[in-house]
Amino acid sequence: MGLIKKLPVYAEKIPGGSIVTTSVEAILNHGQASSIWYLLFGTACCAIELMCTGAARYDFDRLGMIFRASPRQSDLIIAAGTITKKMAPRLRRLYDQMAEPRYVIAMGGCTIKGGPFYYDSYAVEKGIEHIVPVDVYIPGCPPRPESLLEGCLMLQKKIKQQKLADWQ
Amino acid sequence: MTHDEIKSYIEKTFGDKLTLLDTGRCEPVFEVKLADWHDVARALRDDQTLQFDYLCNLGGTDTGERLEAHCQLASIKKSHRVDLKVVLDSGNPSLASVRDIWPAANWYEREMWELYGINIEGHDNLTRFLLPDDWDQGHPMRKNWDAPDFVRFPEFNA
Repeated sequence: MGLIKKLPVYAEKIPGGSIVTTSVEAILNHGQASSIWYLLFGTACCAIELMCTGAARYDFDRLGMIFRASPRQSDLIIAAGTITKKMAPRLRRLYDQMAEPRYVIAMGGCTIKGGPFYYDSYAVEKGIEHIVPVDVYIPGCPPRPESLLEGCLMLQKKIKQQKLADWQ
Repeated sequence: MTHDEIKSYIEKTFGDKLTLLDTGRCEPVFEVKLADWHDVARALRDDQTLQFDYLCNLGGTDTGERLEAHCQLASIKKSHRVDLKVVLDSGNPSLASVRDIWPAANWYEREMWELYGINIEGHDNLTRFLLPDDWDQGHPMRKNWDAPDFVRFPEFNA
């Protein structure tokens, strides 16, 4: 990625250079947005909806989304289910093991603000934004597969707006 | 044995060591004195008529005023059940381990120690296994427990 990082620095100095960077941007973003591989990370009932979305009826694969069992091969972590305080360090660890660029979808009420476990619970983390940065929130308890698909389309839109200069 | 047979047999055999409580529940519930707990547990298992060979559950309760331990026993051979309750000392809650009688008590007693702060005498492996490893906020199942991010369910005044 060394060359791509330097590309906007040099290319935009020459006349018409911004056309080059814009095209490269568009191609890279299209590639990324069309092959989001997600990590298998289901901790509660949201995982059932996630499995359903991955199966034949809703067919996640038409968005280029395939599940991976390793965080090293994943671009996206869908936090599907309740994250307890004991699970929180493990979620952070999996996130840290993913290669950049990486994205997080918080699926369901539990991951947004603790959900039904907000009150009277000593064990449940009140929102995963305390642990990992979240790109898309999907409300629901659990969200239907249609909601999850819409959340993933929103993530694709977000990826397609990335600028080369923002790359780390 | 039917419930009435168990009630009369236990009252006849154990005398004042077990007190029948009127709870309106299906299974007979007996209260055990704290000092008698281990002896009574062994006697209930070894008695040839009762033969309570299966410990279904062992746990704590915080009623707000006092700490209690409760236990459900069953007999596989005789197909009957009984519930027991022990009132604990609030200042220094402590209970004798019944791990030597029913090996299944091992994790239940660790759970009571971890969540209620009930000291289990004679348990040689009281280590944390339910709460996070670095937990330092006390015993969360106590009624007066509180933490910075703990939110109580609001009370509605109709």
